[in-house]
Amino acid sequence: MLPEPQLLPYPRSNCRPLDGIRVLDLTTAVAGPTATVLLGALGAEVIRIETPWARPVHPASALPHRGGGPDEPWNREPRQNELANSKRSMALNLTAQAGREVFLDLVERSDVVLENYSPRVMGNFGLEWDELSKRNPQLVYVSMPAFGKSGPWRDRISYGPGIDAMSGMSWLTGYADGSPLKPGNFYCDQNAGLSAALSTVAALIARCRIGGQTVELAMLEGELQLIGDAMVGQQLSGREPTRRGNEHSSAAPHGVYPTQPVLDDADSWIAIACRDDAEWDGLLEVWEDSAVCVDRRFRTGLRRWHNRAELDELLGAWAFEFDPFELTDRLQEAGVPASPVMGARTLLRDEQVWARQSVGGLPHPQLGLSPAPQAAFRLSETPSPPRNAAPLFAADTVPVMREILGYSDERVAELIDSGAASDRLRPR
Amino acid sequence: MTERAPPPGAGPLDGVRVVEISETAAGAYCGRLLAGFGATVTMVEPPSGTPLRRQGPFREDRPDTEGGATHLHLNRRKGSVRVEVASAAGRRLLRGMLSESDVLIVDLDQRHWEELGLDPLAIRSQHPDLQVCTITPYGADGPKSGWLASELTLYAAGGYLRIGGEPDREPVKAWGEQGHLQAGLHAAVGILSAIHANRGGQLVDTAVFEAVAFLLGGGYQHAWFSDREPVRNGARLVGFGPGHLYPSTIRPCADGWVHAHCNNRYPDAMAVLFDEPRLAEPDLLTSLMGRADEVDELMAPMLIETPRREVVRRAQEMRIPFTEVLAPSEVMADIDHHHESRGFWQALQHPRGGEYLAPGPAVRFGRSAWSDDDPPALGASNATLGSRAERVRWRRAGVA
Repeated sequence: MLPEPQLLPYPRSNCRPLDGIRVLDLTTAVAGPTATVLLGALGAEVIRIETPWARPVHPASALPHRGGGPDEPWNREPRQNELANSKRSMALNLTAQAGREVFLDLVERSDVVLENYSPRVMGNFGLEWDELSKRNPQLVYVSMPAFGKSGPWRDRISYGPGIDAMSGMSWLTGYADGSPLKPGNFYCDQNAGLSAALSTVAALIARCRIGGQTVELAMLEGELQLIGDAMVGQQLSGREPTRRGNEHSSAAPHGVYPTQPVLDDADSWIAIACRDDAEWDGLLEVWEDSAVCVDRRFRTGLRRWHNRAELDELLGAWAFEFDPFELTDRLQEAGVPASPVMGARTLLRDEQVWARQSVGGLPHPQLGLSPAPQAAFRLSETPSPPRNAAPLFAADTVPVMREILGYSDERVAELIDSGAASDRLRPR
Repeated sequence: MTERAPPPGAGPLDGVRVVEISETAAGAYCGRLLAGFGATVTMVEPPSGTPLRRQGPFREDRPDTEGGATHLHLNRRKGSVRVEVASAAGRRLLRGMLSESDVLIVDLDQRHWEELGLDPLAIRSQHPDLQVCTITPYGADGPKSGWLASELTLYAAGGYLRIGGEPDREPVKAWGEQGHLQAGLHAAVGILSAIHANRGGQLVDTAVFEAVAFLLGGGYQHAWFSDREPVRNGARLVGFGPGHLYPSTIRPCADGWVHAHCNNRYPDAMAVLFDEPRLAEPDLLTSLMGRADEVDELMAPMLIETPRREVVRRAQEMRIPFTEVLAPSEVMADIDHHHESRGFWQALQHPRGGEYLAPGPAVRFGRSAWSDDDPPALGASNATLGSRAERVRWRRAGVA
């Protein structure tokens, strides 16, 4: 029996690695917001700049109104709630001259601008590097184009999953007997987001020596790093690499096997990987099947690999009798790498996740406690868990103009009246 | 790091010295990224070399510790010292190296720390300014910290395996060692953050399963607010809620596959692209996976008689983001000369790997360089260790 799901609220941390850094966040979709959500947890003050009429929300897709406060579905949009934590929210119309001026004033008082528009968009706003660096030579300006800011594919449009197709990642991913698949939902985007956050910090480290500069993270080039082994291997062997599902290149058993249902879900599985004789012996200890023990087909690693289809069938039939959590415990004790195939529901019930707070909770005024995963590293002296739930739309428009830019009340009111800035969601 | 003017072509981490002890793609990719940024990265390898050297393919299928594909990709621009760290003299040698370094990356699991006599906490107390980054399957603490793991089991443990593959088959993971590579990337972010924090040495405790679990993103909201699990969806995008558009999927065409993707802002354009007025019906493309089979059927007649390049050319002209599914050899063939125009692939001439092209910059800085070079021969940097007399002594003792 698994325990009830639990979300422990994240602790406060008053000393983070990017304290004092201000980031202007012009990102959309997944890749860019992933970069800035990390920078926010690391301590940067991330000001997310949205158009005043952003966030159209399918009412049925809003998260439940659990936390009290006004019922504003656009403040409970799942993607927003996932990827805007640890940020502030400001609504600016960058196509209006006055809105653009506010942005340029902010550039003077910021350290980083990060955007993931198509290459032509910042030019259309008149907000390219030349313009911004005139206002702030110490600025780090990060772009995340799909294919790059140059080259024949510069103006091709694509989201992350379309880039998986162009990189070779989709071609390589899938069952040995199946067609190409996606490597996950937004894998290319998330990889680009992390790589952009990494490059931003690198540029900030170098800034004391060389000042501000541009950083260009082409999502395609970020992803090609992850399949370089296939690209180089293909040249060495002269053969196209093939899809191979969960199989190992030389060891068996190495796969995913059906089990008894967990949480009433028939889609329950265990992953087992035996990479050498010791791990195989451990598996036999738990399996206790005298026929398999003496089966000549499985006596050596090489034979197990050649006869892996038969082995998988026997192992699958056996594993199906068990609860995957109980079987994992027994296999681990016998020295076999194994894990239940977890999912978000089981991770929220997992003692390791609780112990490390891999996923913690952030209080949100309309949602109650809201879940957010933290990055996979723990810094001993400057802990950096996510620090606030996604801000309400435009909640920081006025404070940013008053406190950071020092605008007068009259000027703020004028900007809001003209629609160049907004303190609430407006109709388009 | 010292405050000085960088030489031309210097990377953002010019002057940072890194020691890497790795046996998985996690530590190796972390080190590779830092080397790309200009740090001086030295691998400390056991006498037989890091296990990554033994991963093929190899030239003419002849196994060779200097010529494996993973080594030729992930170990570029690193140094290598061959040291028996398990010996007392080897540990002294390592300590000497660490006293002149800024960062240590160790990706061995905890039971191997003990075998080698490596204790990250002791290392931290001996070298208070060193950033000590450990990468372990489940992290340094918690009830599963001692669990055994592999790429596959960690992909399962982090929940990302579950959303890959066909709904009526077993879950399937992505190519290669994506879980470990993501962990290496997280570790690199942690290390650079610790350097930026400028608060002395820190422990950067990285867990591979968490790097995988981070990828689930919005899945946690789905699970927390509705206690439901997203269901894998074949090549189709995994939808978390009713607001998801279709298509975002991989479909067969005349000579392979295309990735079909549509902004639901443009159903009219889809109708023109496919010469199929029914695609413009209200709700068809915006009613999610519910009518996905119908959409696939309406797209099929045009796709099945049109080659990939032509489908994509027509779609992109209408600003519909379709792309070709390319095989690795097609990516390298680069028939549009996109990679060539950006100087992406780096031509290397390696004594054992021969001539090959390797992925170039992960990122391009306006005023800093991305650094690349050959991968090192095992023990290539041993000559830089200690004095000549010490080297003779170490060699005799079998330490280095």
